[in-house]
Amino acid sequence: MSDRIVGLGLMILAAWYGWSAGHYEADFSDPVGPAIFPQVLAVLIAVLGLWLVFRPDPEPRWDGGLVLVVQAASIVLMLAYALLLVPVGFVLATTVLAGVLAAMLGARPLPAVVSGAAVAVGCYVLFTHGLELALPTGTLFAGG
Amino acid sequence: MDILSSLGGGFGVALQPFNLVLALIGCFLGTVIGALPGIGPVNGIAILIPLAFSMKLAPVEAMILLTSVYYGTMFGGRISSILLNIPGDAPAVMTCLDGYPMALKGKAADALAISAISSFVGGTLATIGLTICAPLLAKAAIYFGPPEYFALFVLAVVAVGGVGGANPAKTLIAGMIGLVLSTVGLDPASGQPRFTFDSYELYDGIDFVVAAIGLFAISEFLMFLADKEGGQAKRLPVGQIRSSFRDLIFPAATLRASALGFVIGVLPGAGATMASFLGYTLEKKISDKDGTFGKGDPRGVAAPEAADNAAAGGNLVPMLTLGIPGSGATAIMLGMLVTLNIQPGPLLFERQPDLIWGLVAALYVSNFILLVLNIPLVGIFARLLTIPTRYLMPVVVVISYVGVYSISNSAFDLLLMTGFGILGFGMRKMGFSMIPLVLGMLLGGPMEQNLRRAMQASGGDWAILVQSPLSVGLHLATIAMVAAAIFYELRRRRAARPAVE
Repeated sequence: MSDRIVGLGLMILAAWYGWSAGHYEADFSDPVGPAIFPQVLAVLIAVLGLWLVFRPDPEPRWDGGLVLVVQAASIVLMLAYALLLVPVGFVLATTVLAGVLAAMLGARPLPAVVSGAAVAVGCYVLFTHGLELALPTGTLFAGG
Repeated sequence: MDILSSLGGGFGVALQPFNLVLALIGCFLGTVIGALPGIGPVNGIAILIPLAFSMKLAPVEAMILLTSVYYGTMFGGRISSILLNIPGDAPAVMTCLDGYPMALKGKAADALAISAISSFVGGTLATIGLTICAPLLAKAAIYFGPPEYFALFVLAVVAVGGVGGANPAKTLIAGMIGLVLSTVGLDPASGQPRFTFDSYELYDGIDFVVAAIGLFAISEFLMFLADKEGGQAKRLPVGQIRSSFRDLIFPAATLRASALGFVIGVLPGAGATMASFLGYTLEKKISDKDGTFGKGDPRGVAAPEAADNAAAGGNLVPMLTLGIPGSGATAIMLGMLVTLNIQPGPLLFERQPDLIWGLVAALYVSNFILLVLNIPLVGIFARLLTIPTRYLMPVVVVISYVGVYSISNSAFDLLLMTGFGILGFGMRKMGFSMIPLVLGMLLGGPMEQNLRRAMQASGGDWAILVQSPLSVGLHLATIAMVAAAIFYELRRRRAARPAVE
């Protein structure tokens, strides 16, 4: 079933991709132009998507229950980290990220927090002083 | 003679103090990355690329760093195979079979020394092979015009992932999605933005490094959450070497496996994992007369390690000479070269001899450094294995984010990387290979540009694509590889059906 859904999704993607490619116009000197390569790809993807719909592989083993919740939570956390890294600052954001991820992998609360802080401070020192990277210090609390 | 003098010049580059330091750092990091289960060569190299950028390394320096990491991972994978019975990376799976039984018998130090020596021999022989073969292949440069390049890139994207044994339809889909992603951004020929959703962040296209780190490192973490092997593995002690030096080298097994590994490495689509598997199988067929393989036969340690290191060197041949990588790790390195505005391929040898020969010489140097690092210092690496992965994997995630942030300073790229992580996770779960996708992203741009250049030259006549014997040959090779993949898939399905129904 997963393969069929992906196949269908690919066909929709191909239709959109091929259709939007049609808007790009070529110069006189360029017989292929910016549209044909994407359009050929669109056709190939549509055919392959159709193949998946009709000849799917056996269903993969999706994780259920708690694992799925934890995976979703880790993704939310990583997206939040991406958005909040600059305003919150590297050390605080990273402490939370690394600590919670360690806890998700089975660390107990205290070691998780300690390891998170250690990773954050260690990386901060290594990257800012060792490699002279400017990591965000945070604008939210510094009033900057 | 020509080769020797070029190589001599290369050593002049490789032996500069700064480059030696880079090789040393790379070898050390590579061994660590290889040894730690959960970080393989591909995601290890991917997360280090941003560091190479932020250190503002010149192309040759960056390549020396990354290739020594690459060779280092091949050395490092065996340590956890032998001491933990968990392969540190995929090619080291075969080393578990005889390495762990040796360690159980208290001969861990011997197994580590044997595998280090055969790794060194395999890696060095492959580097010699690379030194000889690469310039010959690069001479083919003059036969390559836009139609031939187009054919070559089609071969690379369509066929390279295809012999891995996965469903060929899914391999093709992955390659096509990679090509689709490569069309995002400003079209270099006409200057029009394509598929950018009017977002200026996408005008430059999708950064390959962002995609690669997400696909490999972030998806690895998501896979890891499901496995939950976050604990501390039980490690056997290293101990002291008990055999004499003579009993640590197995010339026949090592040489056979090295030759096999190199050839497999040069062939597109087959990487170090297949090489170590075949190297072990071959050696077992030839030498296993008393049924000692699988119970701690030292030849069963020497052969796969020689083969996978030789394949790692062999993999660099098509990557450097033709610009088509045969494995995930070389694809990532190619991506970095492209990001540094260097297009690998036949012309590289003429245009950038310092880069190429400096790199080749550095490979000899790193192999030697790795041998030295791995025999006396193996205890240090072994100690690192006791770090529980639940504390290690978050570090990988953090370094991924820091790396991408250091390239672009943009939250958009961090989000994009996370998105690629989810994509990579889904692909791995459903049996899509990620390597064709990466290749498609990398080679899509030059593929389309060469197609358009060829068609400009012919004034719109498609026949130009099949007018030279070389391009016809390349297209035939593509068709043959796809046909073979489909044939195997049909046979596999026929064989699998009675079991399912």
